[in-house]
Amino acid sequence: MSNLDLLFNPRSIALVGAAHTELKLGGVILKNLMRFKGRLYPLNPKYNELMGLKAYTSIDDIPESVDLVIIIRPAPEVPEILKGLDGKAKCAIIESAGFAEIGDNELQDEIKRIGTGLGIRLLGPNCMGVYSPYRRLDTFFLPYERLKRPRKGNAAIVSQSGAIMICLFNAIRASNIGVSKAVGYGNAVDIDESDLYEYLADDKDTEVVISYIESLGDGRKFIEKARGLSEKKSLIILKAGKGLSGQAAAFSHTGRLAGRYEVFSSILKQFGIQEAGDFDELIDAAKALSYYPHMFPLAKGESRGGNRVCIITNGGGSGVLAADECMKQGLEVAKLPEDKIERLKQIFPHFYGVNNPVDLTAQVKDNDYVVVLNELKDYYDGFVIIALTGVTGITPGLAGLIKDFKKGTNKPIVFHIAHDGGSRRLITLLERIGIPVYPSAERAVRGLRAILR
Amino acid sequence: MIEDFINKDKNKTFLEHEVKGILKGMGFYVPKGIFISKEMISQIPEIVNIPYPLAAKVSSSKIISKSDVHGVRTGLKNRDELKRAVIELMQIEHAEGVLVEEMAPEGLEVIIGGVIDEQFGPVVMFGLGGVFVELFKDVAFGLAPLKRSDALGLIKQTRGYRLLEGYRGMPPVDIDNLLNMIVTVSEIIATGLIKEIDLNPVALYPASYKESAMILDAKML
Repeated sequence: MSNLDLLFNPRSIALVGAAHTELKLGGVILKNLMRFKGRLYPLNPKYNELMGLKAYTSIDDIPESVDLVIIIRPAPEVPEILKGLDGKAKCAIIESAGFAEIGDNELQDEIKRIGTGLGIRLLGPNCMGVYSPYRRLDTFFLPYERLKRPRKGNAAIVSQSGAIMICLFNAIRASNIGVSKAVGYGNAVDIDESDLYEYLADDKDTEVVISYIESLGDGRKFIEKARGLSEKKSLIILKAGKGLSGQAAAFSHTGRLAGRYEVFSSILKQFGIQEAGDFDELIDAAKALSYYPHMFPLAKGESRGGNRVCIITNGGGSGVLAADECMKQGLEVAKLPEDKIERLKQIFPHFYGVNNPVDLTAQVKDNDYVVVLNELKDYYDGFVIIALTGVTGITPGLAGLIKDFKKGTNKPIVFHIAHDGGSRRLITLLERIGIPVYPSAERAVRGLRAILR
Repeated sequence: MIEDFINKDKNKTFLEHEVKGILKGMGFYVPKGIFISKEMISQIPEIVNIPYPLAAKVSSSKIISKSDVHGVRTGLKNRDELKRAVIELMQIEHAEGVLVEEMAPEGLEVIIGGVIDEQFGPVVMFGLGGVFVELFKDVAFGLAPLKRSDALGLIKQTRGYRLLEGYRGMPPVDIDNLLNMIVTVSEIIATGLIKEIDLNPVALYPASYKESAMILDAKML
């Protein structure tokens, strides 16, 4: 068992700083850990029993060596706690804050030295730890009533920030994306994004990795692991701190232009690693990739290449917005083949717009979409379908028709349906059969872009 | 070659003509030129046997930007203009000499550089020169050393890339040679022997030119 396996798949956990009440972080974590099916040892010398579990005075009282230790005690106590783990544990999550993030580099260096010396892998400090729904493992210090967890799924979240983790959970739930694992790694004194990429590359539950980064440790190692992961799964990165400039006092022009973010972003492009420009783009891309994981990975060196998109809409304006966004994203809204134009004109009423976008107008019927898809499926690399549900011709039955069509093609389809009460049923049905639905035409296009990249 | 350069004096910033001498030795093209030290000023203009028009630039290890101190004169048509320019440039604070060079034909100007980045170590940079780099920061970086295919990816990252292929009546430049230069600069910075290198600007010409890329100014640290 590798040490990171201990982090994600522990058989036993000790919680240093467990509390009896949810008014304390140590109490929230203990309550959340109650879902865990392995052996759980809460530590607090002041109590004999915590939330119905026997409480331990010190790590030495625990009758076995534990796989994972979680520490939620004030920062100055952490070095001594770590020293006490000698021979008792191989992996620890330090959730406590009060280290380099407030300028105390000395204390952070000390825990790093202790961890290295004792051969204990450390996650954190100043972090949320691990949420692993398949293992019923949850080390977050946030109550379920306050932060609802996403459902099980194929997307892993690797976030340096706890705050962004919370935002990601909210957005991912709203986007109906499922999570395989989520890890907040904070100050990254030991385990960093590179280690996590390496682990997730071989994690059977994970097909998509969503990564939020504030600062990098070793840039070369990061690139190596990110490339390794990208070859097997889809990885999408959001980097914060884009305003940091180059070295103003540099001798060369190159030095003055070499801003930390510019260099980072350029090098991601060099190696074909996908970057999201902002939070919303991250979520929209993650949704598409999570719904179409089988589009990945590319064989090494292979480019998916296809960028020909067909837009099928029942509203002219929305179709134009989608076409505009395609242009912006480098996707080609290619003309329909001549023979197909003739054919569709014969099938449809004369007032339908048989171009790209195909405009099925307010007179649309569910089946019209599938007629177009069947005629054009061999000519395009992906489809954007816009279904404005304010007209009577669109019903939840559309989902069933799309389901049947989807069986016979590997071409990705994304939907834009304006989200309101009346469209909820259709959205739910489509997402159940693996079609991502977006609340705007542009976001649907950006989702398709992430798949066709 | 680079080793000799570095070992010469670890604490000295090299003057433009010294850097260009090294680059010329590595097979790059630089304008024909002569370095005039303060002691040689009485031999001006006789010592200069390069055809007019000429350019004259102040040389100093302490001056970061020559144009900021008005340290460049171009289009010098005759001996009188040359002499006046050299005397003026010598009087600039920190001047250690003046570099007199032939005027290179007008080409498409680009910047090729290398630095040691805090996060990624040696990286190479490419950008379109002039307003593209100053105003739009239209540059791209790559992990050094680069393969040729990566160098192509690097130039394609810039928005000004289409200018290289020829645009609105401008002829395409010798992209093959440009890629060679980028690869070489990436290899130089990847040795770890120098901290920064700037070939800025490099004038690019069509492949039909014998010298299809000319380094007009260069710095190394």
